[in-house]
Amino acid sequence: MLKSLHVEGSTPLHKLSVRIKLAGLFVASLAIFFTKSPLLLGGAAALAALVFASVGMAPRDAASRLAWPLVSIALVALATGIFETPLAGLATFLRFATLILLAAAVTASSETGDVMEEVTVLMRPFERLGLVNAADIGLALGLVLRFVPDIALRYESLRESHAARGLPVRPLRMLAPMIILTLKDADMIAMAIDARGLRRQ
Amino acid sequence: MSTRDLVLIALFTAVIVVLGIIPPITLAFVPVPITAQSMGVMLAGCIIGAKRGALAYLLLILMVAVGLPVLSGGRGGLAILAGPTAGYIAGWVVGTFVTGLIAERIVREGQAGVHQIAGFLLASMIGGIGVVYLMGTIWLARSTGMDFLAALSANAVFLPGDVLKAGIAALAARAVLVGYPLLPQRT
Repeated sequence: MLKSLHVEGSTPLHKLSVRIKLAGLFVASLAIFFTKSPLLLGGAAALAALVFASVGMAPRDAASRLAWPLVSIALVALATGIFETPLAGLATFLRFATLILLAAAVTASSETGDVMEEVTVLMRPFERLGLVNAADIGLALGLVLRFVPDIALRYESLRESHAARGLPVRPLRMLAPMIILTLKDADMIAMAIDARGLRRQ
Repeated sequence: MSTRDLVLIALFTAVIVVLGIIPPITLAFVPVPITAQSMGVMLAGCIIGAKRGALAYLLLILMVAVGLPVLSGGRGGLAILAGPTAGYIAGWVVGTFVTGLIAERIVREGQAGVHQIAGFLLASMIGGIGVVYLMGTIWLARSTGMDFLAALSANAVFLPGDVLKAGIAALAARAVLVGYPLLPQRT
């Protein structure tokens, strides 16, 4: 149900380590705010588009991924153009187009598991401070992935039982029972986790 | 954190993901269908409280960052976090926290139903609308160089829909409070 946005492949970007890709994205996100020149930013956006194209995604898939972010920045750029200057609007569009293309390229070329590993590394300083527990984050993430299909199924059966009784199917009416039924399982799941000693404390 | 809290956080994150999968809610008197997921901030704060609700949203954002399509319409990945609307995403976490904080303080289990619904509505409006708009607008204005007030006024388009969502979330949160109370209570 939750298929990762990773795209299989063996392009140069796929082979690059996730850490370098994330660091590059971070540097790019800082660098694009240093200039206002549409020419430089246009070059950056074109370069980002090339990087994104190098991942080798099917055009339809690429379009569906980029459509929403690009429309949203186009709207924001339009507003900037109206409230400020048209040039500022163009700079805004090119800046965020660069960032979105690079970010989409990193996501498409990296395995979810590898990114998660980098997240764990990033959490390490916080873990030393006692603020988070990386193992807990992994466990929570696993629980979400495990229970999303169950909850979706529960929603479906609530919908069916409403229909079977001739009640109008209103998502609003099913919200509360779906949440109650889901959260009621928490005690049992927590007990199972503790019984198996999955959290070493 | 107790294991039960950890599980409640994960289950609520899963509920938010499912709210993005189910078909959008259509109401008879509103022309635009409402995506159920956009009520998540209000629901999380009012149902599992400030701390757990905010952590549920942090978990959701982590899933977005590692490239899982957990947002409505199958959206996800770093591209979502890189846009000028990233402030709204950060606003989800803080908004959930504020919603929860207010709900924990003013909603009591023994209260009359009307009071509870009114309390949840107030919490949802301040946290789920006020805080989210504020944080979203600050980042929007800073990253685009737009005037803050001009950027803030752009939010007005979404206000009627969001007020309606606060109403729906308040009703749902009250129903959950009656059926299976989880909201911590503070004095």
